[in-house]
Amino acid sequence: MNSKEIILSNIKNNIRTQYEMPEINLKAIEYTDKIVRFCDVLTSVGGVGYILKTGENVNEAIKSIYPNAKVIASNCNDITCATMNPDKADDAHQLTGIDLAIVNGELGVAENACVWIPQNVVHKAIYFIAEEMVILLDKNRLVNNMHEAYDQIEFSDIGFGLFISGPSKTADIEQALVIGAHGVKGLTVILR
Amino acid sequence: MSTKHSKAAEVFLEDRDHASWHNESLWFVREKRDKISKDIPEWEDLREISGKIKMHTISHLDQYLEQFTKNAEANGVIIHWAVDAKEHNEIVYDILQKNKVKKLIKSKSMLTEECHLNPYLIDHGIDVVESDLGERILQLMDLAPSHIVLPAIHIKRQQVGELFEEKLGTEKGNSDPTYLTRAARKHLRREFMTADAGMTGANFAIASTGDIVVCTNEGNADMGTSLPKLHIVSMGLEKVIPDLKSLSVFTRLLARSATGQPVTTYTSHFRKPRPGGEMHVVIVDNGRSKVLANKDHIQTLNCIRCGACMNTCPVYHRTGGYSYTYFIPGPIGINLGMLKAPSKYFDNVSACTLCFSCNNVCPAKIDLGQQIYKWRQNLDNLHHADPVKKMISGGLKFLFTKPGLYNTSLKMAPVINVIPRFVLYNGLNEWGKGRELPVFAKESFTELWKKGKVK
Repeated sequence: MNSKEIILSNIKNNIRTQYEMPEINLKAIEYTDKIVRFCDVLTSVGGVGYILKTGENVNEAIKSIYPNAKVIASNCNDITCATMNPDKADDAHQLTGIDLAIVNGELGVAENACVWIPQNVVHKAIYFIAEEMVILLDKNRLVNNMHEAYDQIEFSDIGFGLFISGPSKTADIEQALVIGAHGVKGLTVILR
Repeated sequence: MSTKHSKAAEVFLEDRDHASWHNESLWFVREKRDKISKDIPEWEDLREISGKIKMHTISHLDQYLEQFTKNAEANGVIIHWAVDAKEHNEIVYDILQKNKVKKLIKSKSMLTEECHLNPYLIDHGIDVVESDLGERILQLMDLAPSHIVLPAIHIKRQQVGELFEEKLGTEKGNSDPTYLTRAARKHLRREFMTADAGMTGANFAIASTGDIVVCTNEGNADMGTSLPKLHIVSMGLEKVIPDLKSLSVFTRLLARSATGQPVTTYTSHFRKPRPGGEMHVVIVDNGRSKVLANKDHIQTLNCIRCGACMNTCPVYHRTGGYSYTYFIPGPIGINLGMLKAPSKYFDNVSACTLCFSCNNVCPAKIDLGQQIYKWRQNLDNLHHADPVKKMISGGLKFLFTKPGLYNTSLKMAPVINVIPRFVLYNGLNEWGKGRELPVFAKESFTELWKKGKVK
């Protein structure tokens, strides 16, 4: 027998009682104003929620939030303030020195400020390697909690997807919170 | 007879300031967990369901592992099976060799600690770089983690400052956490850029989709799998769960229980290898399948490694992770160590006050306290019961089964109040060590009752 067969047969032989799968239909928390909750939690995890006003241009908004960003990477069609398209890079290693990455998110979660991103760029490194990041999100695409989120998310063909809640962080030195570990050092979610 | 744990704890407690700082650091995390769990009215329901999903999954583990394998393979992922640590390490080395890997960048994985992968690979000439900040600090110090989620919780910022000054060339005397974290970011960026392969653990493996799900705050697992095109996942076989619906329960519990955050910054789903790259998953048994047959301890397989039981444990707080002889400390570690090798790790079972606080915070509702109690009941069979305490217990049994003698001795008990200290607190009284005897009442409850003094 190979290792797989040995392990599976050990498992079969050692199982004594079999337990039923529980119904996962608990009454999970809902919020009267999902946008407010989402932005509050995002602030608490070190990010910023920015609600685009009617008629406000998203590129102008980004420039006002990040006036010092020089190298701006995005593959989003309507992001004219981008200085480069990260999809054009032959290799992820070329994506260094990016001040700001701008990407599309698909779904936001009010309970924990997560945004679901099915890989929608050629090199997923762009989600982590830039200094700061903006996620563009349709404000009508907010759900209450993770149960609703996992019911709705979809993957792209690339076969990678992730939830992001705020910028990267660590508290590994004396439990002192430091925003900006290995991933982005700042994150703004623009709800539009 | 002192256990190895109590002897090590004694050394840990010699530095009172450090010990009290350690205690407070953990309590801070525990309080954050309490606060955020109350943010969700259905918290207790989530814990209940989580435990049930786990019991269902591990009692159908063969089916779920086969389903996971089938789906992952259909996605182009290469699955390997390792009966033990040795086979795991050989498989990993073989993959690295075939891909001519010189430098491997790792994110946090307790399983690779369990398998002693790093020393094995380093012996075989691979440059292994830990990328979680706490893990990197410890790797540079040549130390093991003292906690499963907060690996460097016992290290002071000044120690990190001195370490980075020597290894990374940071400013002398600067121990500001932000400054040091930035220095580590810069240092590890170079490592990410030059690594040939990335290795991660797995928080969850999803049977219905074949996804590997990794939860981190720092983004190190993602950096390590976004630059090099080879990704190796090391996964304990109990990490599989049925589907994304189940995962929705665990993603709500994990970070809240672990660090008191609403969720980890990144919850990454690795479904397929990168275009032009490879993704390997090594499924490891290493004694886990055996636990399925052990009804007293089967629930240890439900652990999602959040560390909440450590953060709440009064003994862990005050004695530190290194006082335990197993590489995973605290309540879950006591049990896992005993399952691994009771005769080797029995010293840890006394590191518990049976307060059961761990049971009350565990997001998978594991009966951690009951399990430790059961191990203790069995110590005599393992010939590791403390002979002095055994004698005292024997004496008490004799006393408790003879009411006349018991009542007489109760009447005599207040005498102890006036016995000089040196008679009571000496090497012969095991229970007098580190403890104060109570002041015995002049009249026992029975006497008070008989005299009608109990209202």
